[in-house]
Amino acid sequence: MSTVLQDIVNKKHYKFIDGEGLTWQECVKISTESLIADGSVSEDFYKQIIACIEKYGPYMVFEHNVAMPHTTENAEGVFKTGIGFMRCKKLIDFGKDEDGEQKEANLFFTLCAANSDEHMNNIQQLASIFANEPLLDALAASDTPEDILKAEKDFPGEDD
Amino acid sequence: MARLDGKKLLACCANGAGSSLLMENAIKKVMTRNNIKPAAINHCAVSEGKSAASGYDVVLCAKPFAKTFEGIDASKTTLITLKNVMSDKEIETALKDAGLID
Repeated sequence: MSTVLQDIVNKKHYKFIDGEGLTWQECVKISTESLIADGSVSEDFYKQIIACIEKYGPYMVFEHNVAMPHTTENAEGVFKTGIGFMRCKKLIDFGKDEDGEQKEANLFFTLCAANSDEHMNNIQQLASIFANEPLLDALAASDTPEDILKAEKDFPGEDD
Repeated sequence: MARLDGKKLLACCANGAGSSLLMENAIKKVMTRNNIKPAAINHCAVSEGKSAASGYDVVLCAKPFAKTFEGIDASKTTLITLKNVMSDKEIETALKDAGLID
């Protein structure tokens, strides 16, 4: 079975942008474009993600500048399960969290879920990726889908 | 016997589909590492979590959702709030601080 990163490459669910001058809202929208392209989500799916972050704050921006924008399982406008990967050259400002800490991200893993089992499998793999700092650094430096695959090969991380 | 053996844990986030799953994953790691066998580890959206909370011994959520659980019976359900929902280390420390694991 392919890994989530292989899946991202195979399905062309990736985007490499500079990000200069973009708001987090614009970036969330751009991160869904690769998912829109193959009919995984609708064109206005991103609005639900933005509404969620506006309501609860940037709690889905984790350590190491990783953002995991998402909504709910079987959300309106979600037709397939997948992950939209996006790398920004610049750090995107998500504002402050409830402790007043500034949250920024340059790696986006935007989730859409139509199937529970596939989604659970995606999340489990993402949890290992998010804990693998050398891999995240390599992904942050990636410019092409080949770079994504190389990063995965170079930094397999621990199996747990 | 570990104190969380046979207990029920619930992970909550805004939608019950992303962060709560990451949390559930991290909780499982902590349980395995400490050789604890809880009766259940589930996840759901905070909207369902509030009414479901009373059926659980421990409810875990990200800090922004703590307010949702105001008024739960603290003698029955322990609320643990987390800054980083995917950090098994933070979960382990929080459970230790709450006296739930040794």
